[in-house]
Amino acid sequence: MLAMYLIFLPIFASALVYFITKNNESFAKYIALGWFIVLFIISISWLKVLPDSGFLFLGNFLSVPQFGFELTLQIDALSVAMLILTAALLILVVFTSWNEKKQAAYFSLLILFSGPIFGVFMTTNVLWFFMFWELTLVPMLFLIGIWGAENRIYAAIKFFIYTHVFAMFMFVGFYLLFKQTGYWDFTLIKEVALATPALIWWLMFLGFAAKLPLFPFHTWLPDAHVQAPSSISVILAGILLKMGAYGLIRFTVELMPVTTLQFAKWMLFLGLATTLYAGFLAIYERHIKKMVAYSSISHMGLVVVAISTMTYDGLSAALYEMIGHALVISPLFLIAGWLHHKTHTWYMDEMGGIMKKAPYVSAIFILAGMAALGLPGTMGFVGELTIIISAVKAYGWWVAVIALAGMISAGYIIWAIRRSIHGEMSPVVAKADFSMSLAEKFALGVYAILIVYFGVNPQPIFDIANKAFSFFGGM
Amino acid sequence: MSFIILIAAGLIVPIFYRSNIVIAKLIAVIAFLLSAYFIYVGNSLNSIFPFFAVDKATMIMEFVLLATLAAVTLALTGFERPLIAQMLFLAGASLAFVETNNFFLYIVLFEVIAIISYILVANIRNFYNAEGAIKAFIAGAVASGVILLGFALYSFVTDSFIYSEMNVGGKYTLIAVAIMLAGIFYKLTVVPMHGWAADAYSQVNHAAAAILSGVIKSVVLFATFKAFYKFFVEYPTATILIFSFFAIITMTLANFMALWQKRISKILAYSSIAHSGYALIPFAAAASAYSYAGVLYYAVAYIFMQTSVFLILNDLRRELGVKYLEDIKGLYKKAPLHSLLFTIQIFSLAGIPLLAGFLSKAVAFYAGIDVGLWPIVLVALLNSALAVGYYVWIIKHIYFDEPKSSETISMSFGSLLGQLILLAGTIYFGIIATDIISATTM
Repeated sequence: MLAMYLIFLPIFASALVYFITKNNESFAKYIALGWFIVLFIISISWLKVLPDSGFLFLGNFLSVPQFGFELTLQIDALSVAMLILTAALLILVVFTSWNEKKQAAYFSLLILFSGPIFGVFMTTNVLWFFMFWELTLVPMLFLIGIWGAENRIYAAIKFFIYTHVFAMFMFVGFYLLFKQTGYWDFTLIKEVALATPALIWWLMFLGFAAKLPLFPFHTWLPDAHVQAPSSISVILAGILLKMGAYGLIRFTVELMPVTTLQFAKWMLFLGLATTLYAGFLAIYERHIKKMVAYSSISHMGLVVVAISTMTYDGLSAALYEMIGHALVISPLFLIAGWLHHKTHTWYMDEMGGIMKKAPYVSAIFILAGMAALGLPGTMGFVGELTIIISAVKAYGWWVAVIALAGMISAGYIIWAIRRSIHGEMSPVVAKADFSMSLAEKFALGVYAILIVYFGVNPQPIFDIANKAFSFFGGM
Repeated sequence: MSFIILIAAGLIVPIFYRSNIVIAKLIAVIAFLLSAYFIYVGNSLNSIFPFFAVDKATMIMEFVLLATLAAVTLALTGFERPLIAQMLFLAGASLAFVETNNFFLYIVLFEVIAIISYILVANIRNFYNAEGAIKAFIAGAVASGVILLGFALYSFVTDSFIYSEMNVGGKYTLIAVAIMLAGIFYKLTVVPMHGWAADAYSQVNHAAAAILSGVIKSVVLFATFKAFYKFFVEYPTATILIFSFFAIITMTLANFMALWQKRISKILAYSSIAHSGYALIPFAAAASAYSYAGVLYYAVAYIFMQTSVFLILNDLRRELGVKYLEDIKGLYKKAPLHSLLFTIQIFSLAGIPLLAGFLSKAVAFYAGIDVGLWPIVLVALLNSALAVGYYVWIIKHIYFDEPKSSETISMSFGSLLGQLILLAGTIYFGIIATDIISATTM
């Protein structure tokens, strides 16, 4: 029952939290923080009790026997990794939005968000998976639309409609899957192992690709990221995009391996195109947050390349890069948003010399930037290296072109640091007040520590990957 | 028994509602509760007359119908009070309509409900009310004529009007059924027989529109499926062709029309027409084992959400004079409770999960996939994604914009109670699917 409460309690209690804390707004963040810590502890405790391979069964609820439909909650190492990441990021998001305005509404929406996102990673029933998947859009719509920057309404509605439309393709794919196999649960569908027609694969792929986002379907993301408040950008990049990668691993790789093998070249091609194209866009960008957003797309392209290899190495690298990307891109978004908040400009060439006035933030920006371009000793290096190795192993030496991605990212990151952090101090920076709250400093510090810790010691994440992908015949 | 109670209450209520509307509401709600109880213990029309039959699915539809009408009753005030009596009559007629087992009675009760709906819209206060009422009346009269023509033709070829004994193989059957369906499509507001609906729904009193577009359409949908089921299964090709065609043009056209509207009531009216389009998919998929579940689920979900949005709009128009999209800018500051309930029901209409609107679509569309109509389901799903465009636009106005004036309103107790009943229905059927599915599959 506990598992079900984790999902449904926040969905229904969030309105209650709002009405309780409406007159006393600062309580909301403590309630949110407490709840997310509970989620984090429970997720960690699940990691301890996981079996070496396969799923840990948490229960069946809301059964509709005639339709073979029930909320089956099962978790394996991959889902637990995602749960821990989600809970950790949510805790940090509370700290980074410590002084957000309209706190009662803001934090109750965050609490509302925590329910369905846990549902997405915990259920093995495709219809419930889809239901939670769609439900995450609702709090995000409000979080972007109310707390965002100048153009927030356009971005929020574009985000909502765009992802909703592509989810519909996925939905038809799920239906056809059920029609063909007679099961809603993907662990059972996997066992039936019928020949999956290309149609189902493509319908589902479209849904995940738009969420990730892959190259032709990525246009919602720069808008959403730029307009969202920076803490919400962290959720978008750190959690929401991971839903796409998670879906790709779960449904295309694990559920339909034969069909995926058939279309792996397409995935590889789209992943490469995304990585390089978004990288070039990032170089071109003056807008600091758009630059980070494109860099985020570029890294998700790498994840798709890793997934397309369909090997143990590739998937482990993908999982590592998913977590690494979340931890690396989040401080970049936070600092980009923070800089705009302080200097009132989005453009890097109008900043400059921030290092002298805000050394702490600048140091973390540089560290996260170095991780993004793959400096050894950070998470970015391990992620990119393992992805390149696994891709070359699977496809041959020519795939080494993705190493170009590292060079491109070096280009935009170093140039960004040169323009905003170092260089001449511009008048905007000179008159800005760079004071930072303790909560924000704490959160950024945690990101920095994690980036270096998992960069030097990647083993814990690969242990999880080993549990998750051992069926590929791993180590 | 429930039928008698409802009609008796409908006759008594007019004595009270001029002097004391609370007593009138109380009598009506007690009548609804009592009749629900009698349905529950199995004492409905079929225990007295042989022309009625009750299965579990019908019972669910009846409970939902009574709950919705009770919610509407609680929400009424002012010059809408004559509606209380009309709703009691409507409830009685609808109970008979969904229970009936006889094609002749189906036609008769269809007319009864049509006549009650003319009276519902006849609460004319100004020129625009009159326009809506006249359109509803003329369209209804045409529909009645068309249905009678079809029925006359059909009566040549069958010996019995009992649903299960009807002769569906005759020479004229297909023509007769097609003509009857044309008439029923008027009531279901299927394009191209929808012309009257947008005006009628948006111009008449919104409480009446709630019943007209929410309740009556669902009831007709459900009863029609039961009545024509045998034909649908007998002529699968014609069924798929007719219903797929009408489903696609209805939802596409209505969604595009809704996108252009500035009046909220018109947006909701066109969204209601679009929903008729989605609801035709389980009709097209009648051969599927899930088609009955799909129709019932759609009817149940639709009744809650559509009634609720029109009732809230009725409140807003009465208290704030809301008519156009601009009038609801920043509504969450003026009327937080109205905004929250309105948003939830709008999300349900848009098909966001954990609300009845989603699961009803899921089951109804699955019936389509089940008989291999996946391209049509894909079109329907893309349409419902398109519909999100205007639903989100309403929500955008409510939450993302700043209000023009600073007046605030609160919700009356009766209205709140009514809305909570409807909200409970929307959430319950959005999470728990087992009742409906187990009632409709063997």
